[in-house]
Amino acid sequence: MSNNRESINAKVSNSTQGCVNFTLDLVAENALLLSWQAKISLTQHNEIIALQAMITQQLGELIIETVASYHCLMVYYCPQLSSSLQVIDKINRVAKNASHKHSNGYHQDNNPNNKLTHQADHGHHIKIPVYYDREQQWDLADVAKRCNMSIDEVIKQHSAHTYHGYALGFTPGFCYLASLPKSLQLPRKSSPRIKVPKGAVAIAEQQSAIYPIESPGGWHIIGQTPLAMYESHNGQFNASIQVGQNVQFYAISKAEFLALQQGVAE
Amino acid sequence: MKQNFLEIITMNGQASIQDLGRLNAQHLGFSASGAADEFAFLSGNKIITKEISIKPQHHIAKINNKLGNDAAIEITLGQISFKANAACNIAITGADCQAKINNMTINNWQCHQLHAGDIIDFAMPKTQLHSYLTILGGFTCQTAQQPWLGSLAQTVNEMALGFTGEALRVGSKLYFSTQNQPVAEATPAQTTQLASLKANRPTTAPALFYPQQKLTLRVMPSRLFLQMSSAQQQQFLATEYIISPDSNRMGYRLHVKPTKTSSPDKKILTQQLRSQYLLSMPVTYGMVQFPDNEQPIILMKERQTMGGYPVLGTVMQTDLFRLSQMRPGGEVAFSLITHPQAQQQLQAFYQKLY
Repeated sequence: MSNNRESINAKVSNSTQGCVNFTLDLVAENALLLSWQAKISLTQHNEIIALQAMITQQLGELIIETVASYHCLMVYYCPQLSSSLQVIDKINRVAKNASHKHSNGYHQDNNPNNKLTHQADHGHHIKIPVYYDREQQWDLADVAKRCNMSIDEVIKQHSAHTYHGYALGFTPGFCYLASLPKSLQLPRKSSPRIKVPKGAVAIAEQQSAIYPIESPGGWHIIGQTPLAMYESHNGQFNASIQVGQNVQFYAISKAEFLALQQGVAE
Repeated sequence: MKQNFLEIITMNGQASIQDLGRLNAQHLGFSASGAADEFAFLSGNKIITKEISIKPQHHIAKINNKLGNDAAIEITLGQISFKANAACNIAITGADCQAKINNMTINNWQCHQLHAGDIIDFAMPKTQLHSYLTILGGFTCQTAQQPWLGSLAQTVNEMALGFTGEALRVGSKLYFSTQNQPVAEATPAQTTQLASLKANRPTTAPALFYPQQKLTLRVMPSRLFLQMSSAQQQQFLATEYIISPDSNRMGYRLHVKPTKTSSPDKKILTQQLRSQYLLSMPVTYGMVQFPDNEQPIILMKERQTMGGYPVLGTVMQTDLFRLSQMRPGGEVAFSLITHPQAQQQLQAFYQKLY
């Protein structure tokens, strides 16, 4: 198929360059996709968001937007300002530079403008209070049954773990947190709920997340947090949990939940 | 200060405010959103800008400039009427809704003048989906409304956040600025037709842009597609698809057109390949998702930012504008295109419409 051969030529591979761990594909007229190994790994993800920060900083106006996830980085660029090949070349240079500095033990912290220093900020844990709903309006009892453990054990395991924010998506402020302990991993619900309440704490497969607004959703709801998942002022939107941050859940009573919810509302 | 607006007086379909969307807020989880059919949207902006040449024309970076990106009302399946409380010039483009001003039928793809008290009415279009009502300076659904994260575009799933005003309904007022007062008494000769514009650059007539029946979507193959066997690739490219009724501004769902020769048991994507592409990743406009049931989903303007299905490729944008006007039951198939070719098509498209 001659068409096919042509498209293979349009692909750009980094496999010969050794020091970068991703492949790079032109996936749209204005977008490049950098892909690492398809796995959930903290080390790999830190590499991805460090590169994301450097691309944003060093390529400036050529870049419209970058979106990171578990193993990918989507880079939207401005084809009017620079050719695709030039953008690819620049990204590869940034990546090589980064891996070179990294292997030499170069301390990025010396440069206050370097976004890599933000990684240090990501060290602290965000603590999220959760009312694990024992009145069983949602899926807590069902999850316990399917995971073959008591409700107390589900709560204990979910809140004993530290999670890492890998991606924002689905709805604004919805942060994909991983990894859930193996003993709690269940496939998504076979049919999604039409309405999941604001603040719902849910699990599916290797992930946990909090629904920022009422929306449809196919994850298992095990509790609810009174905390807002975003705030906005002066035209800015800030997600409460950002990609790269660490998160821990802790159990609160219904009374505490209601009190905090009231406090948030006031 | 006197406020100028069009008020929705009847509404039976869907309508929203749209511009070119907010590509730069996807890292926060916001949909890029924006006008479904950029050909009709930008044509409307171009017609109205030529008609009332208030702003000077600049040749500046095309994608980020505001020129020709004034927020319009995107009307889906017509069936809406507005009353003007002040005189203004508007353009109508896109699906032909047999629009009438005070019961007098007016032409589509043209600029028209409304006087205070005039009623403009859109019927259900016979073909296509989206029509655009455009005004210089754009519409907002609140007075002095500022763009949210760079855009006024409304997204169904994000309306509850309250950043882009309220969903349009009967009684909604669509505000516009005072610079839209007609500069002179309009005469029929003043109406400007897109096809007859004597611009420096060539324009495309709508009849030449949209497909007459079947649409072949030109797709840039993904890495996954290139890993498929030649037989599997051929099978995908030879399959004819029908647009499913649950298609919308978020995504177009397709199902395989039943044929006598089709062998439904033969899978296009092997489980072995599929299993390598299940982790959620950022997705973009035009990506062709391929769920287990092998009924493709094409991601449109109101797509979410992340997706968990394997992706066979990305439909080039100029074909997506065409697709957005097609209704359920319409027929599509796929053919391959290279990235430089797709990019060239899009650049030529913007050159004609800015």
